[in-house]
Amino acid sequence: MNFELTEEQQLIGQSARDFAKEYLEPIAVELDHSGTFPKAAVKALAKHDFLGLLLPSEVGGAEAGFVSYVEVIENLSRYSAAVASIVNNHTIAAYTIQNWGTAEQKKQYLPGMAKGEVLGGFAIYEHGPTPGVGPDALVAIKHDEGYVLNGKKAFVRNAGEAGVYVVFATTDPALGAKALTAFIVKADTIGIKIGEKLETMGLKGCPVADITFENVVLPETALLGAVNEGAAISAKALAVVSVAEAAQTVGIGQAAVEHAAAYAKQRVQFGKPVATLQAIQTLLAEVATDCHLARLGLQNAAALIEEGKPFEVEAAMVKSFLVRLGSKMLLDTCQVEGGFGYSEFMPLPRMFRDIAGTNLLDAPGDFPEKLIAASIA
Amino acid sequence: MPKCLVCYKWTLDEQDIKIKPEDLSLDSSRAKGKISDFDRNAIEEAALLVEKNGGAVDALSYGTPTVKQSLKDCLSRGPEKAYWIADASAESADANVTANVLAAAIRKLGQYDLVLFGEGSSDQFNQQTAARVAALLGLPCLSFVQKMSVEGDVVKATRKLEDCVENVTVKTPVVVSVLSEINKPRIPSLKQVLGAAKKPNEEVKIADLGLKPEDLQPKAVRKSVKGFVMQRKNIIYKETSAAENVAKLKSSLAAEGLC
Repeated sequence: MNFELTEEQQLIGQSARDFAKEYLEPIAVELDHSGTFPKAAVKALAKHDFLGLLLPSEVGGAEAGFVSYVEVIENLSRYSAAVASIVNNHTIAAYTIQNWGTAEQKKQYLPGMAKGEVLGGFAIYEHGPTPGVGPDALVAIKHDEGYVLNGKKAFVRNAGEAGVYVVFATTDPALGAKALTAFIVKADTIGIKIGEKLETMGLKGCPVADITFENVVLPETALLGAVNEGAAISAKALAVVSVAEAAQTVGIGQAAVEHAAAYAKQRVQFGKPVATLQAIQTLLAEVATDCHLARLGLQNAAALIEEGKPFEVEAAMVKSFLVRLGSKMLLDTCQVEGGFGYSEFMPLPRMFRDIAGTNLLDAPGDFPEKLIAASIA
Repeated sequence: MPKCLVCYKWTLDEQDIKIKPEDLSLDSSRAKGKISDFDRNAIEEAALLVEKNGGAVDALSYGTPTVKQSLKDCLSRGPEKAYWIADASAESADANVTANVLAAAIRKLGQYDLVLFGEGSSDQFNQQTAARVAALLGLPCLSFVQKMSVEGDVVKATRKLEDCVENVTVKTPVVVSVLSEINKPRIPSLKQVLGAAKKPNEEVKIADLGLKPEDLQPKAVRKSVKGFVMQRKNIIYKETSAAENVAKLKSSLAAEGLC
């Protein structure tokens, strides 16, 4: 049993950390205030191959593997979890096309996505209780030459910036989610309207909006995977992205505990640095421990994904662990920094908002426990 | 088209080194390795020169057996081939020993137009290795270089000295040591990192360098390394008037020879 990352994985993680320090640290505060999409940073990400990390070399990807991917996401998230979210949503769209696309679809879309010339988006959620159900459900009606889509997708990240979306629509409103089907949709397709950008609590700079589809005509070649295979595709893709989002949470937590530890070493109370006080040591030690254990868990899930083995239960365990402890990490580190830590001129409030996003999005809180329980009982 | 050799040191990352409060000794048990900071500038400069002028860059490092961990990092930054000398003697090597080993290796590897170094290493910062290697090889040495270019067999360099800058030209072959301001080392892309594994590397055995035992004996012997921690006196003057407090502070500083 070997817990060591390979030399390449370590170097890729270090590259991501150096990249984030140079390109993301200087813009993180401004991004949090303005919420403006960081075009220059995304261009730089592409130049360093981060946007094609998982894709095979035939389409111009780096083919670095999923363990490297979570290393990259953790290190980007130390400085800007919002930018890591942009990468995650792009990557999951590319991952879906890579795994369920036809040879023609891969050839058409993946080279541009690997180079970062085309950003990807993943449109699964709707305002109804589950995709394919409710008055706004996105419905795809079969016609002779393809499909016509009407309805709405909700909370689509990278909305308005992506050039191509992986979109899930039901082909039969009576069957709802059971008839969910995946499509590849270009952003400039007639009938697509990007809604107003949603103001979010955190992860600002990663745009979120609804997308409305009005008589959007898609050719048969836009179908991704088989008809009614969408639920299985989205479940797998969301399980994969939940591991990457766990890496975001750990990256934020690690950055927070390192900031709090540095603060505690220089903050003097009662004649000595507060880092020497047992109460502060306990807080720092607990957060560092939570980060370490979560990292081990997500690296394990990432290795299973990379090896093509079942990973969903392990991914759910990591998600469950971080849903319980992710926000606590930030509460505890804020506690270490006291009134200063609560102030907006310090980074912890931004990290607090960001970690809420990485915990809340893409996997509802009750989902992981259901899967874990089913695996043991 | 210059043929360049860049020499670098694999050091411990100082950010990972802790100072033990009880005796100020250093705990480096959890410290990771890294290419010495100035040496990254040297590697980058060699890569930039070759990207502009053509030619080739090789890399050379002498260190303990951990030096092998540096190869992929080095090769991801531009060099096409890395030579490495792993020997326990590096643990206690001073600048004299390091220069003896590197100079002997360079003689063995063959002719290079430019041999580049960082101005000093991140750990010891003796700033001696480049000059000593140049002396051993009988080559000119340009130190403190903040800007350089190559035209044919002429190197043009700007040296930053204490109170002036000096522009010099020199014919190759030449040894150059560069300052950190000369460039910004690249962040290797993922493909460069993964491509490094496909580039060649070769071990140079120290036994094959024709060195005498005394060449590997350090002249400066390190007896101990201790961290520096600023100790505050925490004296608070609590006289009733500010003037009295100032007077006491002044006399206290004077007693320590500070004013």
